[in-house]
Amino acid sequence: MINVIGYHTTKFGEQWNKSLFDLISEAIHGVIKEMKIDKEEINAVFFGNMLAGILENNVHGGSKISEILKTHVPMYRVEAACASGGLAFNLACQYLNANKNSTVLVVGGEKMTDYPTPKVITALSAAASGEEQEAGLTFPGLYAMLARIYLHTYGYTEEHLAAVSVKNHFHGTFNDKAQFQKEISIEDVLKSPYIADPLKVLDASPISDGASAILVTNNRHIAHRIDKKMTVLSSQAATDSISLSGRAYLDRLDSTVQAGNKAFSDAKLSPIDISVAEVHDCFSIAEILAMEDLGFFKKGEGGERMKNYETMFGKTNGLVVNTSGGLKASGHPVGATGVKQIGEVFLQLTQQAGKRQVKKIKYGLTHNVGGSGGTAVVNIFSS
Amino acid sequence: MVGITSYGFYVPRYRIKTEEIANRWGKKGTDISGSLGINEKAVASFDEDALTMAYEASDMALEHIDRKSIEGIFVGSETHPYLVNPTSTILGEYLGIGNAYQAFDTQFACKAATGALITGVGLVKSEMIKNHVLVVGTDKASGKPGDPLDYSAASAAAAVTIGSRNVILEYIDSFSYSSDIPDFWRRHGQSYPSHGGRFTGYFSHISGAVQGLLSKTGYKPSDFARAIFHMPNGKYPVKIASSLGFNHDQIKDSLVVTQLGNSYAACVLVGLSAVIDTVKKNDLILIASYGSGAGSDAIVFKATNKITSQRKHFNSYIKEKKYIDYTTYLKFMGL
Amino acid sequence: MLEDPEELQLLIFSHHRNMYSPVKIWRRQRKLREYLGKKGKIITWTKIYTAGEGRSSEDPYNVALIEIDDHTRFSLQVIHGYEKLDFGQEVKIVLRKLHQKSHEGVIAYGIKCIPL
Repeated sequence: MINVIGYHTTKFGEQWNKSLFDLISEAIHGVIKEMKIDKEEINAVFFGNMLAGILENNVHGGSKISEILKTHVPMYRVEAACASGGLAFNLACQYLNANKNSTVLVVGGEKMTDYPTPKVITALSAAASGEEQEAGLTFPGLYAMLARIYLHTYGYTEEHLAAVSVKNHFHGTFNDKAQFQKEISIEDVLKSPYIADPLKVLDASPISDGASAILVTNNRHIAHRIDKKMTVLSSQAATDSISLSGRAYLDRLDSTVQAGNKAFSDAKLSPIDISVAEVHDCFSIAEILAMEDLGFFKKGEGGERMKNYETMFGKTNGLVVNTSGGLKASGHPVGATGVKQIGEVFLQLTQQAGKRQVKKIKYGLTHNVGGSGGTAVVNIFSS
Repeated sequence: MVGITSYGFYVPRYRIKTEEIANRWGKKGTDISGSLGINEKAVASFDEDALTMAYEASDMALEHIDRKSIEGIFVGSETHPYLVNPTSTILGEYLGIGNAYQAFDTQFACKAATGALITGVGLVKSEMIKNHVLVVGTDKASGKPGDPLDYSAASAAAAVTIGSRNVILEYIDSFSYSSDIPDFWRRHGQSYPSHGGRFTGYFSHISGAVQGLLSKTGYKPSDFARAIFHMPNGKYPVKIASSLGFNHDQIKDSLVVTQLGNSYAACVLVGLSAVIDTVKKNDLILIASYGSGAGSDAIVFKATNKITSQRKHFNSYIKEKKYIDYTTYLKFMGL
Repeated sequence: MLEDPEELQLLIFSHHRNMYSPVKIWRRQRKLREYLGKKGKIITWTKIYTAGEGRSSEDPYNVALIEIDDHTRFSLQVIHGYEKLDFGQEVKIVLRKLHQKSHEGVIAYGIKCIPL
């Protein structure tokens, strides 16, 4: 049995004073201290990060963390664009399945604000294929092409997309670690400038710095010491072609569908059982697609149901999505996101979510996507 | 019989009006278009250059010609993409010519292509080349912003294939007149050409070449159905035609400069493309190019009965256009 | 998708000299040639307003995902000045200069599309 026993995150946002490894160090030491674990009890480290190599000419992050932690255990850097954090967790679970009585640290971090925006846009587009980069497709551009098809096929408008950002900003007001803790309105979103039509600035998650860390263990004695923990019921990853041009369908992300199906099947649960979920809203359209692809909504219903705020905190007795504020409001330091999502569900399932605590919950889900759907990781947890 | 066996052209869709440039520089548009005889010019986009335009023109020219039969590719330009690295082989690669061809690039201001054309004829006539030679004139010309040359410097490409089978324009004869006149030049490292104002070798060299040609061949100006003179602006070709004894009807179809500007190395071949749609069998065509520095190539062609098989409708082609403003113009020219 | 995805990684940065690799350009050239002049239909598209590094003189520009006759799909920039794009619109593939990273390196030519 695998349990998540601790979580610590830095604030996400423009952290001018902190470098990438300052943030990672903060997250790591934070979670170790909170859990009163000795660092010697950590048997391996899994590190999710996308851009350090591209922006800072820094790879070999594992050995950098070894310097920070001053231990000699194996450290695995995982990269799958924006799914780096989620995939690092997935790999950690594989490790724990193979190694008895072990405790691992999963940490994700990203430093994006040290560079001018065009440079970061180019770096992020490394998650796209060479052909897409050559065509000048930016990351928003890829999702914009999907959004255009979705809106056209199911007869929705940009207002339906805007509802996602409105909901997530509302949630962000309850999260003191979120980059944005201010509400926005549908008009605000519609009036914001286009970045790649039909997506506008307020349809898109921001450029952020941050790091998040969790401790995961299959060691019963350690788990026993910890009061507040959540059990990992399943962790599944799936992939799809990196280019949109290689996809069988353009109104869904098959990687999400596959990972989700496997995760539910593994956990012996259905979408209806999930009370709280963190899904990957890198752009408003992404959350709508995710809700359909994970089976929470029927295909094509997403726009309508988002516009009705059916998954908003305080508005429903059913599933609440992205209480952290999602990527949109809590921020999206790429490598950290997948870990933060797990951390958020951890806070919910252990009744530590404070002002944004969803009552009466048993099962939670996280969904983390890399690129335009090239990788998806779905995890299901129980309290 | 050796001559032109096919032709092709490419003029970018984008146009900028003389008036638009003039307004930005605080000048009166109608004064300038009036004195230059240019109303608007064609401009290549930021993602076009002499090579991409050469490709388009060549692709059109090679529509019915087996690409592997091209044994020579000669590209003339004043704006080759590289100072060192041949445009002709990049072109050959994209056209899929194979490897069995000779290639060279030329530069000689606006007559870079006609010199290569004459050489191409020589190679085919002597049977050193048995099949085809592709000759292309292409330029994305610009003048220094605000300089008078900037009103006329334009973009276009034109290509001809020279061969001995299915000739549409038989090469009859040519005469070249050359000297050293520094009327227009560009030094290494300079972004724009410089010029000597009104000092030009245009009139003396074209006269020299055409009169030399007429004398050599025995033709009189009235023998020609069409005459195409290099067009640095809308006035000079009219003036030289008249002084050499050609009437306005002989040149009027070729005066594309009024609407397209001066596309430098492509200019006379674009002029040829404009008239060729209405040329009839046995018509004599005179082409007289001018390259600053300086030289003129005067060439006589005679249309064969195959001329009607290749009408490419230049005049309707250039009707499709999009106007751009000065800021877009600067972006397009990379300034 | 264009064949042989590895060949398409044209934009691999060389931190030391900020140029495209000449070898990659050369390899790519031969593949690109096959697509010149081919016709296709637009599947979806977007207009990019915030472009990446060094491309600000080009933006905004349209990018379309097109499908050519043998059902191969790929994304191509649409040439400047064509704003009325639609699902199923016919386009032709043309040769154009790609975004240049530097004034020193080899010029990268590539393919874009023009609505017909």
